[in-house]
Amino acid sequence: MKGIGKRVTVGFLGIVVLLFASGIISLFELSNLSNDTEDILAASRRNMEIANDMLHSVQEHSQAMLHIAVFDPQADRDVYRRAMGDLDGKVAAARSEAVDATRLDSLSMSVLRLREISEQFVFSSAIGNIDIPLMAVPSSEDGATASSQRGKAWYENDYKPAYDNVVEQIQSYMTHTHSSLAPRAEQLSKNAYRSVAPVFISLVVMIAIVLMFYYFVMFYGVNPILKINRSLSDFLTYRLPFNVKAELLDELKEVVDNIEKLIGLSKQNR
Amino acid sequence: MRESVILRYVGAVMLCVSAFMLVSAGISYMNNVDSGFYPLLLSALLTFTLGGFPLLFVPRAKSISNKEGFTIVVGSWVLASVVGMFPYLIWGGEFSLVNAWFESVSGFTATGATILNDIERLPQGLLFYRITTNWIGGVGVVMFSLVILPSLGTSKMALSNVELSSLAKDNYQYRTQVIVRILLVVYVGLTMITTLSLKLAGLRWFDALTHAMSACATAGFSTKNSSIAFYDNVAVEAILAAAMLISSLHFGLIYATFLRKGNNIFRSEVVRTYLAIIVVAIVLVTISIFSAGVYPTIWEALRYSYFQVISLMTSTGYATADTNMWTPFAIIILIFVSIVCACAGSTSGGMKIDRLLIFCKILWARILRQQHPNAIIRIRVDGVAQDADMLNSVVVFIVTYIALILFATVNNTLFGQDLMTAFSSTVACIGNVGPGFGAVGSMGNFADIPAILKLQNSFLMLMGRLEIFGFIQLFFLKWWR
Repeated sequence: MKGIGKRVTVGFLGIVVLLFASGIISLFELSNLSNDTEDILAASRRNMEIANDMLHSVQEHSQAMLHIAVFDPQADRDVYRRAMGDLDGKVAAARSEAVDATRLDSLSMSVLRLREISEQFVFSSAIGNIDIPLMAVPSSEDGATASSQRGKAWYENDYKPAYDNVVEQIQSYMTHTHSSLAPRAEQLSKNAYRSVAPVFISLVVMIAIVLMFYYFVMFYGVNPILKINRSLSDFLTYRLPFNVKAELLDELKEVVDNIEKLIGLSKQNR
Repeated sequence: MRESVILRYVGAVMLCVSAFMLVSAGISYMNNVDSGFYPLLLSALLTFTLGGFPLLFVPRAKSISNKEGFTIVVGSWVLASVVGMFPYLIWGGEFSLVNAWFESVSGFTATGATILNDIERLPQGLLFYRITTNWIGGVGVVMFSLVILPSLGTSKMALSNVELSSLAKDNYQYRTQVIVRILLVVYVGLTMITTLSLKLAGLRWFDALTHAMSACATAGFSTKNSSIAFYDNVAVEAILAAAMLISSLHFGLIYATFLRKGNNIFRSEVVRTYLAIIVVAIVLVTISIFSAGVYPTIWEALRYSYFQVISLMTSTGYATADTNMWTPFAIIILIFVSIVCACAGSTSGGMKIDRLLIFCKILWARILRQQHPNAIIRIRVDGVAQDADMLNSVVVFIVTYIALILFATVNNTLFGQDLMTAFSSTVACIGNVGPGFGAVGSMGNFADIPAILKLQNSFLMLMGRLEIFGFIQLFFLKWWR
């Protein structure tokens, strides 16, 4: 490349391009960081919602079953079926969103067990063949009370353990999802400086380039001009030979050549 | 000393490094724009601007003095390591400032020591970049630039004179242009052959290429956490061992052998000594670990011992076994080969077998002189008499090398390292070998050592790569006047 002007222009353009690129990449990293943070928050919120809904559904189911078993065997079955459907839906949603769905296997199993126990009880009570621990029920009670006692015993002995197991699994799911988000959050905080790193490194490189730029401008621009001026002054004042000892580039070399020609011409004319 | 000229040629080397960053960014892009893409792209841009700036102003030098050549070579290695940190720092993960510097120096000096606990987590582009630092560092950053930057013209002579150790130059009986061509042909050719062989042995193209590059550089970076042990493949081990062994021979001699010239690897006294030491070391280590019951059969013991001996003696540092579990005798042998390493004029580091051979001959000459005080005893290598300057430099180098190992070991213990880790990590770093023993063993890494020792070890790697005195010169003001 020839020409001081061109060299300086290209040098400055280089710095501008570098600044622009590092700015763009930094923005990109910042938006990534922001997206990751939002993802983590959304995942955490969603897990909480799902777990809360699951607890709500299983509680609703429990209340419906208690009502059927103890108070009113002929009560509407839709309530418990709806609650069970909700619970199934939430478990399916949790499975679809889970990073490792196998971790939800035990929750699914316990929900399945709860469903089996409930269906079995409802079916048996419908055909009047409730096979529950009758030993706990006094034989002298009348039919309605006996049925209620049987239902209560079934609820306590069969349903409650299964219910507790489901609740425990939901709590475990909550704990696990939170603990699985922790490493992501930790990684995020560790890499947060990544968004600043491009700008910081560019800044360091830029300082190095500016220092180099200063050195080259002094070495190839300012110093030769000073030396040309001094040599020309020496020539004009003391008639010392015009001799510039400096690295000369492009136009400055031409200037020196032209001054030498001019001096040669003036000597000829004298 | 013309600083502007130094800046120009160091800048040319930076351009070369930026080209490799760009290639790695391309690999990241092809790999579904993985997380390494932007760090590599920005680093390439930064390095290109930094390197290209001096070329914009400084005109091509008609000649380069030896002193300038030295400064360019050392400066290139140091600055390549500095800009080499950029992709790591921008990517983040396990790379703190000190870790990134250590990994970069380890890459460009072809040491192969790492601070990464989980290498496989790195995106593919960054993995490739990490290996390319080995590859360009293996044959010498500056020699690589000489190969691909034709504009350097007549300055090649001064730079290659500095880049090659004085011992290596003896075997290059060619002009500089031819030396550069030899390096290109042997290095690239060997890498291609190794890549194809590894592919045929069942590796993926990416793994085959990266391991071939690392093996031919005798560097030792792998794309797997458990290094070559990951593949558990006898054919892969054999191919890599062959590649490491060939790369640890003098490239000029390899070239001469292919051209069927007289001065070839089969006639070289240095190569014969080198191969003899390897065979003896393999036999001793095999017997030691087999008799101690480390492996159930002698063939299994031989399989692991030959690979580890070749890996450490060539200063590569690949691992197929946890050598910490081996017998103390086997470990001592492995430490010995890590100190001596391979031939001058190759990609390997260490003290060099050429020096050991001359040193042994000096000792023998000393014994003979005591028996025959008036005898004139000439020390010859391959029939060529070595002058007093050369003999003196060999002795001084060996003494300085050992002194540095001892000094750094003492310093390591000061920061709480056990003796084995302190000593072997120093040997591994100054010899550009990579893994040591103890906490920095073949299946370990340098992640848990204190930051100050990581800096010390990276300093040792640079010293080892630049054969100590080339690096030391830069710290004397007189040098710069």
